[in-house]
Amino acid sequence: MTQPSSEDLVSRRSFLDWLLGLGVVGTLAAAILPIFRYLKPLPQQGASGPVHLSAQDTATLDHDQFVIVRSGATRLLVFEDSSQKLRCLSAKCTHEGCTVQYVPGDGVIWCACHNGRFDVDGRVISGPPPRPLEAFRVDKEGKDIVIDGKLT
Amino acid sequence: MNQPAISNPVYRWLDRRYSLGNLVEFLKHKEVPLGDHPMVWYYLGGTTLFFFLVQIATGLLLLLYYKPGEASSYESIRFITTKVPFGWLIRSVHCWSAHLMIVSLTVHMFSTMMLKAYRPPREITWITGFLLFAIGLGFGFSGYLLPWNELAYFATSVGTDSVKAVPGIGEWLLQVMRGGHDVSINTLYRFFALHVVALPLLIFALISIHLLLIQRQGMAPPLTHESKGPGMKFFPNFLLRDLLLWLLCLIGLMILAVMLPYGPGVPGVEWELGLKANPLQPAYPGIKPEWYFLWIYQLLKEFPPHLWVMEGPQAALLMVSVLMGSWALVPWLDRKARADKPSPGFSDYGVGAILFVVFLTLKAWDIGGHGHGAEVDVRAVARVCAWWTLGLAALITVFRFLVYRHRWFLFSGGIALHVALHGLLGMSYLRALVAAAVVVVIAWALTLVTGSSARTMRRVSQ
Repeated sequence: MTQPSSEDLVSRRSFLDWLLGLGVVGTLAAAILPIFRYLKPLPQQGASGPVHLSAQDTATLDHDQFVIVRSGATRLLVFEDSSQKLRCLSAKCTHEGCTVQYVPGDGVIWCACHNGRFDVDGRVISGPPPRPLEAFRVDKEGKDIVIDGKLT
Repeated sequence: MNQPAISNPVYRWLDRRYSLGNLVEFLKHKEVPLGDHPMVWYYLGGTTLFFFLVQIATGLLLLLYYKPGEASSYESIRFITTKVPFGWLIRSVHCWSAHLMIVSLTVHMFSTMMLKAYRPPREITWITGFLLFAIGLGFGFSGYLLPWNELAYFATSVGTDSVKAVPGIGEWLLQVMRGGHDVSINTLYRFFALHVVALPLLIFALISIHLLLIQRQGMAPPLTHESKGPGMKFFPNFLLRDLLLWLLCLIGLMILAVMLPYGPGVPGVEWELGLKANPLQPAYPGIKPEWYFLWIYQLLKEFPPHLWVMEGPQAALLMVSVLMGSWALVPWLDRKARADKPSPGFSDYGVGAILFVVFLTLKAWDIGGHGHGAEVDVRAVARVCAWWTLGLAALITVFRFLVYRHRWFLFSGGIALHVALHGLLGMSYLRALVAAAVVVVIAWALTLVTGSSARTMRRVSQ
């Protein structure tokens, strides 16, 4: 039987080193991947149907001329513009995610964090926000105010 | 050489078990190098450590009463500050020492930069220091949310939203940080775990490495031409001075904590509890993050909605990343300091960085704006802040020119030009920055060309 040369031995050792390294990396990956998946939160349930404003929300709307309500994971700004038309926009500023407000005197939507301004349709007027606010359909049915999906 | 025996029985008991001779020998020979610069810069690492230890002690005490939760976070902080005996003092000391730790850490980092203490073989010490600075800011950011008040909610909302600008993993990172799409009580749980478990473990490990490297390699000596022969004995001369400074820091901290228990009342340096967080309330006018994030907050304001293919916030954060990255890589970029030669360009880079951050921070405070929120006159703010920054730039330049005989002012001059173009001539922030950068590059190129021709002329004449 022929003896393996020293070169064969080295390559066999290199192969075993490589195999061991692969095993270590594989084991670590198998341990870490579930942690990465665990860190990401479960998807939040969106609103499954129309959102009805509560009596308290309606009272706030009458008093402040705007109210912020929740629809699933989304915050919505409901307000009456200068022509008394009811409107609904996303309340999350497209710049850095602060909650915006309606300024009745100026007829604009304003974000206090970085001084972003939008018109009543949600279009950017000035400041750093890169995109318009999303608009939602809102209707008044008697005393009931209902938000029902995005405007296309 | 025989060592004089230490007669203390406790020492002898320990020495028999752990052979303390080597340690004693090491301490006897440990020296702090002396140079042209004031010794004060060598104490800042120690003061940072002191404020960090105060953080740990007061943080543990706050943990005895703090209850994280939607119905308990805000209420437990109010309970601590209004009902628990000296609870207000513990919280005040915790908040004050957090701010003073960041001050000390920042000055320590800048002094290290100016003294070129990062040059070989201390690159890894610089990197661990840079990481410690980042973790220090992480402590501030994660701790800010824990009182669950209005300020905490919106500051965290803005701070976390900016991570979505990270290419590829931004949205994943945002959700992991927030525990959902928006800032909620899930975010508080995550930040609480980060603030009291993950970051302390990380910072203890990094401080250990940082200190071990300093002990192993010694404190960085001054550049050869600034050196002043033998240094000061670390034990007991330097150590006793260090401890005396710690005592002064403790006295100062207690005076501040007692006299101003809710901070000096400057936006970004206040911890009045205010109203409880309500995600369904709009952000209130004048809302500001902590003072050390103000320059990034202002930069986010200065960028237009879109820049080339990027959205404004993405471009702003890319700029911050490039600046921070270049700061971390200074030990490798500064080739003159690597060769133990003066590198005035990098000293000037440090001064330029200070002026850049000061101008943005002053603007974020709306200095000279006469009004609040949307009513602030942004032109007036830019003008007044420009004058303040240019005044500071002039002072630093004269000091460097006369005291340190510096003759290299390209970066700081570029920032001064940028400030003047934007604040005094009304150019937009970004256009002024680009214009100043172009001028700096041309001036630099001219310096290189004239420098190389002068060298050639000298060689020819020889």
